[in-house]
Amino acid sequence: MIRICSTDDVVPGEGLRITSTVPPIAVFRTEDDEFFALDDTCTHQDASLADGWLEGCRVECPLHASTFDLRTGAVDEPPARLPVRAHEVEVRDGEVFVTLSTAVPHLPPGVTLGAS
Amino acid sequence: MTAAPDAGVSARVSESLLRTLGGADYVDPAVFAAECERIFEAGWFCAVHASDLPEPGSFRTVQVGRESILLTRSRRGELRGFFNVCRHRGAQICTEPSGQARRSFQCPYHAWTYDFDGRLVAAPNLTSMPDVGREEYGLRRVHVREWLGYVWVCLAEEPASFETTVEQEILDRLGAMSNLEAYDVASLQVGRRITYDVAANWKLIVENFMECYHCATIHPELTEVLPEFADGLAAQFFVNHGASFGEGIEGFTVDGRVGLERLPGLTSDRDRKYYAITIKPQVFVNLVPDHVIFHRMFPMGPDRTVVECDWLYLPEVVASGADLSASVELFDRVNRQDFEACERCQPAMSSRAYADGGVLVPSEHHIALFHDWVASHVR
Ligand code: FES
Ligand code: FES
Ligand SMILES: [Fe+2]
Repeated sequence: MIRICSTDDVVPGEGLRITSTVPPIAVFRTEDDEFFALDDTCTHQDASLADGWLEGCRVECPLHASTFDLRTGAVDEPPARLPVRAHEVEVRDGEVFVTLSTAVPHLPPGVTLGAS
Repeated sequence: MTAAPDAGVSARVSESLLRTLGGADYVDPAVFAAECERIFEAGWFCAVHASDLPEPGSFRTVQVGRESILLTRSRRGELRGFFNVCRHRGAQICTEPSGQARRSFQCPYHAWTYDFDGRLVAAPNLTSMPDVGREEYGLRRVHVREWLGYVWVCLAEEPASFETTVEQEILDRLGAMSNLEAYDVASLQVGRRITYDVAANWKLIVENFMECYHCATIHPELTEVLPEFADGLAAQFFVNHGASFGEGIEGFTVDGRVGLERLPGLTSDRDRKYYAITIKPQVFVNLVPDHVIFHRMFPMGPDRTVVECDWLYLPEVVASGADLSASVELFDRVNRQDFEACERCQPAMSSRAYADGGVLVPSEHHIALFHDWVASHVR
C-alpha cells in the first residue's frame, strides 16, 4: 500500500491525476466524500479521466463520453471498449493510501507504461 | 431640439439641405471592414437577452463585426463571452446559433475541450504535453456585462467606457436616467421575438429609425396611433419628448385598442406617450406605457443586416398567456415597412446617380450627427 495524497488535495466532486505511479492513476472524491482510484488514462485515447465528469459512482471521459465505474473500472459504452483498472483505496488520518492492482493495464494506442 | 452641424462630413448644401454620406459608404467592403474594426469590435455591443442563456452551458453565437462570439454561463451561472475560435487550429467551436452544451464545449475537429469558463480541460494527448497551459490555451474571452436585461459585449482589449457611450445615449435622448428607470426594463420578459433579415446596410436602418419624415407615407397604422408623426418630426428629434397617443387611441396596438397591463413605475405624464432611443451603433428602444420594444442589429456585411426585435412585457403579463398580438402587430408592421424602405435604397447606393449621396431635409438634420459620429470613428 502506498500513500498517494492528502484528502484535502482532492476537491469533492472532482478527480486528481497522480503521476508518481506507473501508469498514472486518478483519485476521485465523490460529493458524498468517498474516495476511489482508477488508472487515469482512458482506454480509447490518451485522455485524463481525472479531468472527466464525476456523477454518482461513474466518471465520464472528457473527450468522448464513455463512462467508467469508480468501483470496478468497467466501461459502459463505446468508443472506449476496455475497462480501466480499479485500485483499492484506504483513507486514514486525512491521507489517501492505494494498493495498486496487479492486473495488466489497458492503455490506449500509442501510450506506453512509463509515459508520464 | 438638436442642433445640426454645418461642417464635418455633412456639409450644408443650401438653406434647408445637408449632404448625406456618399453611396460608396453603404456598399464598399473596405468601409464596412473599417466600421467593424473601429465601431462594432471596439465599443459595447448588445448581443442577447439574459434569458437566452437560462443556465450553465446554455449558449448563443452572435456575429459582432467580423467575429463570431460565443456566449454562455459558467457552472456558477456567471455570464461568459468567448471568441468562437478553437485555440488549436481555429475551427469554429459552435456552429449552431443557440443550444445547450452538456458538459463542455468540444471542438468538432480534434476534440480540444473547454469548460464553461473557457479553460482547456481536455484534449487528446494533453497529459503528455504538460507545457500546454490550460488557461493560456483557453478560449479567448471578451468583456461581458448585463444591463437592461441584456448581455452586452466588448471585444476591445481594454473595454470602452459604458458610462460615456451607452449610458450617455440615454441621457442625450431622455435627459435623465430616471426617465428610463421608470420602465424597469431589466424586470421585463420577452413576450415575443421576431428576427428580420434585411438586405440593407446597417446605416440605412439607423437613419430610418432616427427620422419620421417617412412616417405619414409608409406607416399608416403608426400615424393613426401617434398623429403628430404626420408633421415629420421624430420623437428622436427632441430631448425627452414623448409622442402623444391620438384622441380615442386606448393603447399602443395595431388598431388603437386597449393594450396590456401598464408598467407600474410610470407616472401619469408617460401614460399615453411613445419614446424612442437609438443607442449607437446597433440598438433601438421604444418605450410605451405597457411594453418596451428592443431592437438589436447585427451587421452581417455591407448589404445585409439581421435585426432581432423583442417585445418586452411584465412577467405576469407573459405568464398569463395574454394575447399580445395586437401590440406586437403594430411595430412588426412598422418594422416591415421600414426595412422594405431600407431595402429599396440599398441597390441605389452603388448607382452613379448616388455617388455623392443625397440630402437631408430639416426634420432629418439630426441624422448628420450620426454621420459625423461614424466618420469620427472610421476616418
Ligand atoms: S478518449 Fe475516452 S472515450 Fe475517447
Ligand atoms: S481545431 Fe479545434 S481541436 Fe483542432
Ligand atoms: Fe419608420
